[in-house]
Amino acid sequence: MATDTLKSTAGAGGASGGLRRLLLDNGALTALIVLVVALSALSGDFLTTDNLLNIGVQAAVTAILAFGVTFVIVSAGIDLSVGSVAALSATVLAWSATNEGVPVVLAVLLAIGTGIAAGLVNGFLISYGKLPPFIATLAMLSVARGLSLVISQGSPIAFPDSVSHLGDTLGGWLPVPVLVMIVIWLLTAFVLRRTYIGRSMYAIGGNEEAARLSGLRVKKQKLAIYAFSGLFAAAAGIVLASRLSSAQPQAAQGYELDAIAAVVIGGASLAGGTGKASGTLIGALILAVLRNGLNLLSVSAFWQQVVIGVVIALAVLVDTVRRKAGATAAPAGTGGGNKGKQALTYVLAAVVAAAIVGATSLLHSGSSSTTQKVGLSLSTLNNPFFVQIRAGAEAEAKKLGVDLTVTDAQNDASQQANQLQNFTSEGLSSIIVNPVDSDAASPAVRAANKADIPVVGVDRGVNKADTAALVASDNVEGGELGAKALAEKLGGNGTIVILQGQAGTSASRERGAGFAEGLKAYPGIKVVAKQPADFDRTKGLDVMTNLLQAHPDIDGVFAENDEMALGAIKALGSKAGKSVQVVGFDGTPDGLKAVEAGTLYASVAQQPKELGRIAVDNALRAADGEKVSEMVKVPVKVVTKENVAGFGG
Amino acid sequence: MSNPDELLRIEGIRKTFPGVVALDGVDFDLRRGEVHVLLGENGAGKSTLIKMLSGAYTPDSGRILVGGEQVRIHGAQDSERLGIATIYQEFNLVPDLTVAENIFLGRQPRRFGMIDRRRMEAEAAELLKRVGVNVSPRAQVRELGIARLQMVEIAKALSLNARVLIMDEPTAVLTSEEVEKLFSIVRALRADGVGIVFITHHLEEIAALGDRVTVIRDGRSVGQVPAATPEDELVRLMVGRSIEQQYPRERTDAGEALLKVEGLTRDGVFHDVSFEVRAGEVVGIAGLVGAGRTEVVRAVFGADPYDKGAVKVAGSQLRRHDVGAAMSAGIGLVPEDRKGQGLVLDASVEENLGLVTLRSATRGGLVDLKGQRAAAARIAEQLGVRMAGLGQQVRTLSGGNQQKVVIGKWLLADTKVLILDEPTRGIDVGAKVEIYQLINELTAAGAAVLMISSDLPEVLGMSDRVLVMAQGRIAGELPADRATQDAVMALAVSTPTTETEASRGH
Repeated sequence: MATDTLKSTAGAGGASGGLRRLLLDNGALTALIVLVVALSALSGDFLTTDNLLNIGVQAAVTAILAFGVTFVIVSAGIDLSVGSVAALSATVLAWSATNEGVPVVLAVLLAIGTGIAAGLVNGFLISYGKLPPFIATLAMLSVARGLSLVISQGSPIAFPDSVSHLGDTLGGWLPVPVLVMIVIWLLTAFVLRRTYIGRSMYAIGGNEEAARLSGLRVKKQKLAIYAFSGLFAAAAGIVLASRLSSAQPQAAQGYELDAIAAVVIGGASLAGGTGKASGTLIGALILAVLRNGLNLLSVSAFWQQVVIGVVIALAVLVDTVRRKAGATAAPAGTGGGNKGKQALTYVLAAVVAAAIVGATSLLHSGSSSTTQKVGLSLSTLNNPFFVQIRAGAEAEAKKLGVDLTVTDAQNDASQQANQLQNFTSEGLSSIIVNPVDSDAASPAVRAANKADIPVVGVDRGVNKADTAALVASDNVEGGELGAKALAEKLGGNGTIVILQGQAGTSASRERGAGFAEGLKAYPGIKVVAKQPADFDRTKGLDVMTNLLQAHPDIDGVFAENDEMALGAIKALGSKAGKSVQVVGFDGTPDGLKAVEAGTLYASVAQQPKELGRIAVDNALRAADGEKVSEMVKVPVKVVTKENVAGFGG
Repeated sequence: MSNPDELLRIEGIRKTFPGVVALDGVDFDLRRGEVHVLLGENGAGKSTLIKMLSGAYTPDSGRILVGGEQVRIHGAQDSERLGIATIYQEFNLVPDLTVAENIFLGRQPRRFGMIDRRRMEAEAAELLKRVGVNVSPRAQVRELGIARLQMVEIAKALSLNARVLIMDEPTAVLTSEEVEKLFSIVRALRADGVGIVFITHHLEEIAALGDRVTVIRDGRSVGQVPAATPEDELVRLMVGRSIEQQYPRERTDAGEALLKVEGLTRDGVFHDVSFEVRAGEVVGIAGLVGAGRTEVVRAVFGADPYDKGAVKVAGSQLRRHDVGAAMSAGIGLVPEDRKGQGLVLDASVEENLGLVTLRSATRGGLVDLKGQRAAAARIAEQLGVRMAGLGQQVRTLSGGNQQKVVIGKWLLADTKVLILDEPTRGIDVGAKVEIYQLINELTAAGAAVLMISSDLPEVLGMSDRVLVMAQGRIAGELPADRATQDAVMALAVSTPTTETEASRGH
């Protein structure tokens, strides 16, 4: 009883300092404010209306997904499938409206139905199949992703224009995604606070058995909870696709983890029973602010990921320490201990702030305002080819004395759109973009056009938007050249297999199409298998090993990039270069070494460093208003042992 | 003072938990080569006592001496070092490991850093032979029956060179044949000089196996007698506290039958249980832990399924295993495990009070929060829940106030038959009386209460009729005026078999 009364006085005492209490009660809000203050101090471009709206847009998709996941986590479940379900719903919408001619309204309903159906399947497996939520939704993660690839056949599908307006702005300044986010936020708060199902979520998450013995229909509620999560995932998918004006089967990969992080940063416990809509919103904003700020500060793409991980851990740590302080101070009942714990919270918050400020100022290369600033958004840095583009661009920028910011979109079209948006709001003199997807990049590039910032495409073009120049090597032509080289080496006869790149990427499509075209001239060459290995060396090794089981007698391999070719060579062992000829693509340093060693017969070499160098050149000329040619072709060349010496990589 | 045969001595041990004095001046000693029985009602403090010896709790005051030396036992490692091994009712075995791996868990013999499987299995086989159980050291523990699991536990204790072996109700889960086997092993261990602390509720086992008996009542050791003491005398020692006016039962005339249970059976758990509960009546269910009381009321409430029989309310049969049906018929359950099944601990008082009425307070998907809040405030006031406010987390309430919240949520739902499973366990005396008053108010208003309690004076003091369960059956029914402690205990330790397949306990 003594503890009860003490608790009451502690509560009354804390209520006097309104703001202090609000901050103490919500570790995430404190973290967000610390971040905003730190970033405003570090970058003059941060605290502008435009940029803050950008952050809203960039947070929208994660936030909408996270609101759905909040329901699930509050009820002590987990939903890993939301990213895939979002992609599937968007794909269903685009496919039915664009390819099948279904009226748009119906297509939207179909997409939403898809999300709900996926959620119901999750809920059914969990409630009635008694699968652990982790497993059930992990399965759905894979199934939904697979289905979206099946429906779209791996290619992005244009989004119907009427729905794409969801990605626009209202009245010229209020972005619709932000509006949607706010509406869904309010809806989530309402459901959690006022409705039967919302109150049930807390009871089920807090103590499922007690809820059941109090007459709550736990199984039915769970069905509804996962259906809600699926519904919100569908909404997020539609917003995401409308921003990019295209539905990408590979969109929103890994977003489930961002969503879960947002919910947990927002103060929910994975053990269930706690969580608030406002917390989740703050969590999503923290992630978006961080990405945006790190872009503005030109922090190296690799370090960005480190910083984001550290901040997620610290934000939750602050919250945990704060909560522990509250929990242990009450029974102990001593005011002194309570103060000590509070002090600890403040110290920890200070450490977080210092760490963020320190890390960002250390990591971002000091920029002077007098030099020209150029942004380069690369689709990925996970692959030596793009690292080479960056190397060429950076060398050229250094030579010309301009400030070059490089970002890594991690093969995510939506993240790229965010980065381009950040470049635009920073007011760079020009932007170089290596699109993840040519269609999906267009809304962001159009925004840059509007702001009169010249955009130069590199390696891949941007559709439906103005680019001052496109610096590229021709993938289709390269594919044809590869086919010719391989077929002639085999004397026009033989069986071959093809290792394809990541399904849905333009590089894979174009190289594959070029290769097929080139092969038409050689009817003696038979393709016995075509399998994706995702441009990845390890996957190349695995897929090739599997294919060799089925087709031990092949004569040749065409890999849509060098990485996969090198993996295939590992699988082939001593056969490589002797009884089996391998042709790769890109001409990366490792690839060229293999050509020299004779294990790789040929690589269709692009000159990535040249691409980077020429792109920077053109970007600067465009910024200065000089005339540049719209299409700059960097030659593609088949490199074999005979001419490899001339290619320095 | 040190007797060379004395393994263990406990002097004046006291232990309190918030709101409860669990032990208050317990003395106990154990010699080499004896079986010393600890006897007491449920909740008398036996488990707390043995947890002191296994290192789970440390005493607030008093001394523990091992081999004449005062010791402090702060954890399992300490007790292991002192040669004390405990076999709990729930076994500490890893189902997916082999018998040998379980026996040597954490202490597997190693060679060059690798587990020396051959040596481990040979040593395990040796130990298993010693306890006289025919099981392969390579068998998976998952595949063993309860009796064999217990033997494995004993082998594990032996592998620790335990000089003191504590067995907490080892016979509760065994068939009589298995009990005989266990007894012969215990006798062999005794002959080897091991001192055994044996906890049991079956009085006939005391004479068969024990040497001395220490009786614990209300956290005190009230006597040490030879095992040959007659059973009635043991029962008197065990329950003989004077009943004061702490049970303010106000009897009302029983009305028509509200709840009828007919031939309820769940194979292997309870058999042919029939009774009825009438309006205005408090029916107590007494019996030992494991007699199947909780299982029966959970089945009545629809929380668990049953195999045969029927539950009828106002003449109509309820759907089996359907909590919703039981609720709409007006049955409520205050479960035994308050924290695990009764409350959402991190939610507020208001939230918990509104749990049962959540559905009925919903219109078009929206909860009438204002109404819920007003109802919660009203009931909290009526029950005298001491709290900072309706928003306080129930986790931070005392046990008595938590229990009031659990009862309160059923009162809000206009419950006609309230089932209380151990309603006052772990609750201080003041709050207990408040809960008894509540029971009076309920029955005065024409509702009925079905109360399970292991606290005999409570059952006797509050019930109008007492059903006594033993080994999954109703062993007998006693009206209030004939329900004495002796009579109830005699029924509770009886073997009410009509068929021979009755299983002991669960």
